[in-house]
Amino acid sequence: MANLGRLDWYDLARTTNWTPTYVQEDELFPPQMSGSMGIPMPAWESYDEPYKQTYPEYVRIQREKDAGAYSVKAALERSKMFENADPGWLSVLKAHFGAIARAEYSASTAEARMARFGKAPGMRNMATMGMLDEIRHGQIQLFFPHEHCAKDRQFDWAHKAYDTNEWAILASRHMFDDMMTTRGAVDVALMLTFAFETGFTNMQFLGLAADAAEAGDWTFSNLISSVQTDESRHAQIGGPLVAILIENGKKAEAQKMVDIGIWRAWKLFSVLTGPMMDYYTPLEHRKQSFKEFMLEWIVVQFERSLIDLGLDKPWFWDQFLEELDYQHHGMHLGVWFWRPTVWWNPAAGVSAEERAWLEEKYPGWNATWGTNWDVITDNLLAGKKELSYPETLPVVCNMCQLPINATPGPAWKVRDFPLEYKGRSYHFCSEGCQWCFKQEPERYAGHLSLIDRFLAGMVQPMNLAGGLKYMSLEPGEIGDDAHNYAWVEKIRTDRQKDAA
Amino acid sequence: MSEADVLKPLKTWSHLAKRRRKPSEYEIVSVNILYNTRDASAPYDLDPNIPMNQWYKKFRDQTALKHDDWNAFRDPYELVYRTYNMLQDGQETYVQGLFNQFNEREHDKALDPQWAGTLARLYTPARYLFHTLQMASAYIQQMSPASTITNCAAFQSADSLRWLSHTAYRTKELSLTFTDKGFGADERKYWETDPAWQGFRELMEKVLTTWDWAEALVALNLVAKPAIEETLLRKFGDVARHNGDTLLGMLTDNQLLDATRHRTWVTALVKMTLEKPGNAEVIKGWIAKWEPLAEKATQAFCAALPDVPDAAATATQGRHDFQRSLGL
Repeated sequence: MANLGRLDWYDLARTTNWTPTYVQEDELFPPQMSGSMGIPMPAWESYDEPYKQTYPEYVRIQREKDAGAYSVKAALERSKMFENADPGWLSVLKAHFGAIARAEYSASTAEARMARFGKAPGMRNMATMGMLDEIRHGQIQLFFPHEHCAKDRQFDWAHKAYDTNEWAILASRHMFDDMMTTRGAVDVALMLTFAFETGFTNMQFLGLAADAAEAGDWTFSNLISSVQTDESRHAQIGGPLVAILIENGKKAEAQKMVDIGIWRAWKLFSVLTGPMMDYYTPLEHRKQSFKEFMLEWIVVQFERSLIDLGLDKPWFWDQFLEELDYQHHGMHLGVWFWRPTVWWNPAAGVSAEERAWLEEKYPGWNATWGTNWDVITDNLLAGKKELSYPETLPVVCNMCQLPINATPGPAWKVRDFPLEYKGRSYHFCSEGCQWCFKQEPERYAGHLSLIDRFLAGMVQPMNLAGGLKYMSLEPGEIGDDAHNYAWVEKIRTDRQKDAA
Repeated sequence: MSEADVLKPLKTWSHLAKRRRKPSEYEIVSVNILYNTRDASAPYDLDPNIPMNQWYKKFRDQTALKHDDWNAFRDPYELVYRTYNMLQDGQETYVQGLFNQFNEREHDKALDPQWAGTLARLYTPARYLFHTLQMASAYIQQMSPASTITNCAAFQSADSLRWLSHTAYRTKELSLTFTDKGFGADERKYWETDPAWQGFRELMEKVLTTWDWAEALVALNLVAKPAIEETLLRKFGDVARHNGDTLLGMLTDNQLLDATRHRTWVTALVKMTLEKPGNAEVIKGWIAKWEPLAEKATQAFCAALPDVPDAAATATQGRHDFQRSLGL
């Protein structure tokens, strides 16, 4: 072969900054879109992406990856995975695709923001590939669930969800739009690629792929592993920027962006990933509890990345660690209780065996969360299913858009973190969410949570039926218990046996 | 409620099911994927008045080019991510093969040093120009009102990175044979100061700062790109062949395949907008506005081409032929 090596010409391909003279530099890179904080051009040119890839390598490797993922899917199309899977696993798939597929596509817009407005040429090239990656993640995560449409109407939500005002989507849109699509290139790199992808999804996708393999869903396992390999490349866009910001006296700004990103990502994880791992995944397939997973993969690894880059642990780190014990239990209870308002069927996950597992992983669970599930279980045993449904709406947080909740029981600690801003009262679930708001109130002040909309009369009629209509959920789509209450009957049988 | 009120599973997404025909893979994964067009008051789901929401409302939603359903657009090639990589991996295999074969035949050593000087001044600085196309296409990607359009713009941006990469590769390779021509060192100087490049630099700096998405699209895809492709790819490729640079001629021919694809999708988009009265005038107005800069750029570059008196005229002709084909 008489071809040059990739590194022979790599630097030339990222030496593309020039000094504009027909327009001003601030016109070419408006500070609002670039997020450049007044740092001079030569500083941005020191940007050195740790993961280097050229265009010809990109199209070859990505072609090969797709060939792998699509051929696994084709080979397993008649495998009866859908028919044989535990209903809890199908709920994982429905929740995942609905909340993630089109958000990934939206991330291509965020990557394009960096490709156009980033001042570091290497970053613009990496983001060009990142933009393509996110188109891949949107498209492949629509194509794979599409085959299930004909079997189950809830799979329509893999596409439909983002067109609706369903509450979990309101929360997802608010979070993703905050960290991906409404900020300048530097902020996107810090919040999306560093805080969210490096910190959370890169690791979570590894965990999810392992869970899928455990559950026998090789198609999904393969898909998620393949997506993760792209993330592990483009997630590295943000890291080198942190060094540039710190060198130029902008550590506090970088820290703030990263902290907001982490807090917001955590909240979304607590409602989506937490219940999936600790309640929906069949007991025999659980490797780690959500808390164990978070501690091992997210907390330890991310702490190290932060310190390595010269940042500090976020100010809320202790509160975050504390929430790992309880926040997702409350989210799960809420999702199951308000189950008609989601497009998947939440698995209760509270059979006797599962409760023993929860008590082992979260000592004190029975005496706290367990007491709520006792009431639900007793009502269902007594044939009073209507009492297991909500009659009112929860108070939701004006930042994460999720129900405000904390551990029930004698030490009932739920509290609202309110804030008055320009004559309007806002409610937050935590100091973290309130802090995010305070950093830039104008970003959030004019947004109405689902409850604000309800109180403003935008949801009609003002009852559950009106709420479902507002959320575009109809019978055939609305959620119900994943196992059709089989676990209640098991408890009944066990109790009858004990009594006998 | 009765059984009839319970929604039944459909064969495809509900938004595609109404049409009663089996959707293609392209439609399943490409149509109606953006969600920033659902609420006209707040493209993004935060305070409706944050600067980014104002940016989209002003520069995307209030453009003079109107259509009731941008999501009706279809890429004539129906490229999806998966097929884009198959297509371009094949093209890259071809181009890397060219690089290999010509290198083995010591192609560069046979080039006239004077031609090498022309390449240093008029060819290798093009990586800056191609990078402006990459950036400008990424802007179209983030601002277009339908995912079927944003996909085309994303692939176009990546194709521009492809052209840039070929140029960087050849810059390095030429620098190994011609050590005294400034390859790999002087490109920025030529791009910023040589009269041959100033027209294209002015054109692209102004295209890059055009925020109205439809005007940016017209300026880029109907004026600037055709001007650049006719001059830098088609005309300069011819000149290269006449100077014994067979490799460059074959390379630009290959890049023109991408350019043809870009023209095909934008032609389809223009045709769709012509369904609405008034749009033809809007597009024509923008073309007229941007033509003088494109013409000036073409003239300046072609004036520097050695021994090709009609270069500017044929490059301009090529651009106008394309514009005429749009049926405006």
